[in-house]
Order: sequence, then structure tokens, then C-alpha cells
Amino acid sequence: MSWTGKLLHIHIAPEASHEMEELTEAQLVAGKGIVGDRYYLGRGTYSPKPDCREVTLIEREALDALCRDDPPMQGAAINVDPGEHRRNLTVEGVPLNHLVGYRFQIGDVILSGGRLNFPCRYLENLLERPVFLPLYNRSGLNCWIEKGGVIRPGDAIIPLNEVTDKPHR
Amino acid sequence: MSVRIIMKLLVEKREQLDDDLVRVWFRHRMRPQLPKWTPGAHVDVRLDDGKIRQYSLTSDPNDLARYAITVKREGDGRGGSAFIYDHFTEGSQVRVSMPRNNFKLVPGKGVLIAGGIGVTPLISMGRALSQIKMLESFHFCAKTSRPSIEEVLSQFCEGSLSTYFSNDPDSHRLNLASLIENLSSDLHIYCCGPERLMSEVKYLTSDWNPDQLHFETFNISGDQDQKAEPFDVTVSSTGETLRVSESQSILDVLRVAGYVIPSSCRQGICGTCECRYTSGDVIHRDSILSPDERQDRIMPCVSRARVSVTLDL
Repeated sequence: MSWTGKLLHIHIAPEASHEMEELTEAQLVAGKGIVGDRYYLGRGTYSPKPDCREVTLIEREALDALCRDDPPMQGAAINVDPGEHRRNLTVEGVPLNHLVGYRFQIGDVILSGGRLNFPCRYLENLLERPVFLPLYNRSGLNCWIEKGGVIRPGDAIIPLNEVTDKPHR
Repeated sequence: MSVRIIMKLLVEKREQLDDDLVRVWFRHRMRPQLPKWTPGAHVDVRLDDGKIRQYSLTSDPNDLARYAITVKREGDGRGGSAFIYDHFTEGSQVRVSMPRNNFKLVPGKGVLIAGGIGVTPLISMGRALSQIKMLESFHFCAKTSRPSIEEVLSQFCEGSLSTYFSNDPDSHRLNLASLIENLSSDLHIYCCGPERLMSEVKYLTSDWNPDQLHFETFNISGDQDQKAEPFDVTVSSTGETLRVSESQSILDVLRVAGYVIPSSCRQGICGTCECRYTSGDVIHRDSILSPDERQDRIMPCVSRARVSVTLDL
């Protein structure tokens, strides 16, 4: 893989269902999550269920597609702002679905893809918008943090082309 | 009770309207505007002990810089109003959900019937109807006069407001039968108040088109303290009936019996295991199905039944 993407937005929420808050920089801790986020604190909706959710990413391109009603599955275009989709990082130019099982780098931080995120009715209910179907297979990527550090919007994202030894599926 | 996004808001102002009545104004800590809402909407207010109470917004939907709720301290209530009354002081930070509306206005002229603190959703609805000259009449019943509420109502009701106070010997009593009998058949009735008032309105309008009748009932998430009881689950395709013990979920029992049902969160929030049921008295414990959906759908990871349920599997 050879590409260079960009980190556009960082969002965290202190507790399950709470409004996401945008950060200008974030501290990522290996094996834990983003400092201050509900999954770092063990207070997320899915925290009781062991899973790969240290940091979650979604493609800006997927959100753009929803906004264009592409493909036309939900009757009308759906606008989902970066603070609404409840993933931590909104990225551009990063083929997330290809990164399951692989390491990649954001600034100095190294993440690895654990599993594809799956759209859920929970998000649909929170937003009161029918995002379940149009987010199928482009709902983002749940990642492990292999090397922590600070990230900021604008940081470059590059593939490392290395297979992770973290669980992935 | 469905899930919704929770905001941390600041208590901007607190107005003591009466000995037991307070109006609390909220604004966002970081944003100039709060999410839009429509007349009749309510918010969930989270209390410090994790409990949730629903309150109608009583401010003006055109003013998104702030929200207001009006709370009557119920000494013998479930503790929510007393907590808000005692702890929501100016400058305090509170957790309030984004608004949701289960009591929407529909096109047409409206008659509003309020009982006690049930007047709260009808304030914004009456104001909106009045602005478009669609408010036929507003009937406010309470035990005693509530000058602060009457003042708000009189600002938009003009001559259409009638008040009735049961503890005031000089006050009229609302004769619901007479009122409803004399209403034009094209009107909509919006009613919120004690169960007895709403039941009487329902009884007196039993021959009306249900589309013209609108009642606000705040759901209490009633089963949260309920003790789980065993029941039977029947799979319609095979006819097999299985016992669900008090410590098992329907999903557990079906899986052990070899049925393949996808699931994910096991908390009634992701919707993966949703299925249909064809009969049974279901105790819904999920956080996502709407009242309509609950008529024939169930989340077997958390929901239960009284005696038995038949799943369309």
C-alpha cells in the first residue's frame, strides 16, 4: 500500500451518549485509548463488552457519500457532521477497510486495524437519521494503539505495511 | 425510553415562580445555539444518581440560545422534581438530552386541555397555534390558581384561555362533557395532565377520529426495578417451546437450543438481534425500539415476557 492521508478531526466524549467534544490535540495511550474518552475511561456504551475500541476512525469520503445520497438507499441525502458520527478520528485519503490487521501511523502514533466498525441502531437512534444501511461496510475502523503519543488535526497518515500481532478479524 | 445524545448545559437562570414551582433556564457551555426543537418537545434530565426524568421545554422554540423547563416540586414524587428544585442552582452544570417530540402539533385548529403541571408541553404548543391563529381554546385546570403560569398563557391566549381551580370556591369547574360535546368535529384536542383527566377526555371522545386526539404521557422506564420472572418462548417455525429462567435471556436459551441469531452488544442498544414476535405480553427492556416497533418486534438479548411469547423465527 502506498498512500498518504490526513487527520481532519479528533472527537471524544466523556461518557456514553454524551455529546462529542472536538480536540485540537489528543494524547493516545497504548493499550488504553484517547485520554478523556469514554472508552479510555471504561464508560462507553460498549465498554462492558471486551472488544477492540481503543480508538475509532471513519473516512470523510464515506460521510461525503451519505451527504450525496450515494448510493440512494435511504431516500434522501443525510448530513452527518464530524462531531456526530461518534468515531474519534475523521480522516481523509485513508482506505480504512484495507487496514484490518495492518499497522499505520498518524504523526508519531502507531495504530493497527482490529476490525471494521459496524453500523448500529444505537447511532441511528441517537441521530434520528437512518444511517444504518448507508454506513454498511464504510462505518469505519476500530483500532488498537500500538505506540502512543500526541496527534493533531492535519497530521499525515501513512501505511507501515506491517502485519500486526494484535487480534484482528 | 430511547437513547439520545446528552449535553452538558449550564443553569443560566432560576426563577422561583411559586412556593413549589421553579423555571430553570439552560444554555450550552460552548455553543451559542442549542439544537432545534418543535412545540411539545421534551428533554431527559439526568440526575446525579443516574436516574432520568423527562421535562417539557417551556421556552420559545425560536430562541435557541436557551432552553427552559418548569418544574413543580412533588414532595411525594419519585424524587426527580425535588432534586432539580433543590440542586439546580445558577451556574451549576447539568446533563440534559437533546430534545425529542412525542406530542407534535398537526395541521388544524386545536383545543388544549391541561391539568396541573401537565400544562408544561401545552405552553409552547398553545403559543405556536396562537401565532398562526389556530388556537381554538386553552383550558387550564389546577387545584389552586397559578398566577405565574396564567401570566405566561395569557400572553398568547388572548380571549381563548379558561382557568378552573378546584380549591377555589369562586372558580368554575371544567365540565369536560359539555366542552367536548360542543366542539366542532374538525378540531384537534391536545391533552396533558393527571391520568384521571386524560382518561375522562379519552372516554368522552371515544367516537372521535383517533387522529384528532393527542395525549402526552411520560414513560417511566418501569421495568428497571422489576424482578425477572421465568417464562416460555415458542419458535413459530418449529413449534418448539423453551423455558427462559429468571437468570437467562431469550437469546441465551435460543442459542443453547441451536438457533442461530446474530447479536452484538447484548445490552439492547445495537439492534443486531432484533426479531419479530407474533403473540405474547412482552416486557421491552431495550433502548432503541419505538412504541410502534414494539408492537411486533423484540430485542431478545434483554427483553422478556409475562408467561409466554411466540417469536417469528
